[in-house]
Amino acid sequence: MAENILVIGGGPAGLNAAVMLSELGVNVALVERDSFLGGNPKKFKYKFLFPDMQPADNVIGELIKKAEAGGSIKVYYSSEVSDFKENGKKFDVTLKSADGSETKTFDSVIVATGFEHFDPARDAKYSYQLFDDVIDIKDLERMMGENNFVRPSNGKPPKKVAFILCVGSRDRHVGNQYCSRVCCTVSVKQAIEMREHFPDCEAYIFYMDIRTYGFFEDLYWQAMEEHDVQIVKGRIAEITSGPDNTVICKGEDTLLRGPFEIPFDMVVLASGMEGGPQSPEMSSKLGIELDEHGFLKPENITLSPFKSSKAGIFLAGACTGPKAISDSITEGAAAAMNAYTYAVKNR
Amino acid sequence: MALEKREQRPVAEKGEHIIARHLIEDENIKEEKNLVIDGVDVSGRWNTFVLSRVNSEFDRSFFQEIKKTVVGSRINRCWQCGMCTASCTVTPLYRRFNPRAFIYMMQLGNLKELKKYIDVAWRCVGCYKCSQRCPKQVNPAEMMEALALVVKKYFPEEIATKLKLDEEVKKIYEDMIIGHGRLDLAKLHTSAMQKSGRIKELLGKIERDAILKMAKDGRAFSILRLGKPHNWGKSKEAIEKYLKNINTIENSGTGGLNG
Ligand code: SF4
Ligand code: SF4
Ligand code: SF4
Repeated sequence: MAENILVIGGGPAGLNAAVMLSELGVNVALVERDSFLGGNPKKFKYKFLFPDMQPADNVIGELIKKAEAGGSIKVYYSSEVSDFKENGKKFDVTLKSADGSETKTFDSVIVATGFEHFDPARDAKYSYQLFDDVIDIKDLERMMGENNFVRPSNGKPPKKVAFILCVGSRDRHVGNQYCSRVCCTVSVKQAIEMREHFPDCEAYIFYMDIRTYGFFEDLYWQAMEEHDVQIVKGRIAEITSGPDNTVICKGEDTLLRGPFEIPFDMVVLASGMEGGPQSPEMSSKLGIELDEHGFLKPENITLSPFKSSKAGIFLAGACTGPKAISDSITEGAAAAMNAYTYAVKNR
Repeated sequence: MALEKREQRPVAEKGEHIIARHLIEDENIKEEKNLVIDGVDVSGRWNTFVLSRVNSEFDRSFFQEIKKTVVGSRINRCWQCGMCTASCTVTPLYRRFNPRAFIYMMQLGNLKELKKYIDVAWRCVGCYKCSQRCPKQVNPAEMMEALALVVKKYFPEEIATKLKLDEEVKKIYEDMIIGHGRLDLAKLHTSAMQKSGRIKELLGKIERDAILKMAKDGRAFSILRLGKPHNWGKSKEAIEKYLKNINTIENSGTGGLNG
């Protein structure tokens, strides 16, 4: 008899875990809270992925196609885990949707509940949702995905755009001390896309450090050397409205010293990643540990980053901390391998 | 205590009464010594006005102008790591000569800031150490040339009034160029040390050891072998001719970024 494994979350990590397990002949129940698969990349219509700018659909679309192809994966759309009990080394889980609920026994469980984009409205200094022309990276990603890159205030193409890094990250004031890892790269990627489409629109990036780690650095070099994106060192402390329908970024140029107040047509906030409400929810429902940053805590962050604090429950993707899509996909596979081993051992 | 009656009340220094005066640059303080408005005497501190030091503009047209020049074409590459300044021959002598900062000012079109450094902006000796170190291959040595062009184009008045040529240094350069066809770093260094009265330091143990080591591994000879540039005679003539006419050229006012 084939193993039964539950995968919670249909983003890049969960999708890849489900697909790999089904290739092993495992019966997979894939639970997704939304009415569609693909997680945040699908929800916010990511268009191109770094580092190679391939269309997001090549990656996410491909995984969704495989997961929905039938086989041994059963997808539960718009569903959630309503009840979770340990049963020896196995787990009795009730899955609930609008159509009713279903209780099943699983050999092991993979949690891949992902992250939430930080909501910049929570940090008043950025005036998000106060001024139409202050948007964030997920808004811009969606605008680009919909081929509708214009100033929200007047529908015209912008001439001068500021990207502000570390919004909702590396800031005690908002409660997030950690670095969200991908927002630097997303921002330089977006600045490149913007300059490609609108060569007469100037792009500035306000930064404290630019953390385009590993090969993502290529995009950072490209942004400057091929697209004249200007970096300015200093974090923006306030955004106010300016004359002629502009938004003013106030900051300090820490290289030259002294304050600046520069008007822009549009400001893009590089909002970071958070564990969201789903992480504590999983923690209390499944009885697994949460870390001090609000993400799910691996048993050993270096040796077994894909294991939760409870045997038989595995973790994959951004639910354990900010990470790139490629890392989430890798972890999906790692968690699948571990969940499978556990299931086979305890058959 | 004797009281002394003065004809005129003493005039305070400009901005003298401002608390934390040291934080405000002189040119940002506007103050009339003698000013009467509608019959009311508002001289001195009663009309003090402090200009905002907030920078409210990034002027990219300026960046574009630099980028179009041959020497400044890589301005977009600089990420302000400071390796150029750290390796610069001149910075230790003139702390205000900071290639990194100058490049940044040029990137952001901050002429207001650049203006403060006109007296040192042209100090680069062309040793190319910075360009050798720069991880982004900005070629900061040539950016300093772009800087000189900028200074010349945008601040002709200041150049005419503020720049004093150091005849001694000028002579060292000219002799070196005409005599050898290139800048000789060792000689330059020696002259600089001599000029600042630190010649003794050149003969310390570390220096002696270094020379010995370089003589042993052959580096010293490869330096000595460096001859004059190919066809030097003609270039030398041209340079001498240039130096002779330099005043006429300097004063013709045709120098521009692309000129
Ligand atoms: S990746 Fe960059 S923008 Fe994001 S939190 Fe880290 S340093 Fe800030
Ligand atoms: S010119 Fe080169 S060495 Fe100097 S700050 Fe820029 S990148 Fe660094
Ligand atoms: S070339 Fe000029 S700027 Fe560069 S290290 Fe030498 S003196 Fe300094």
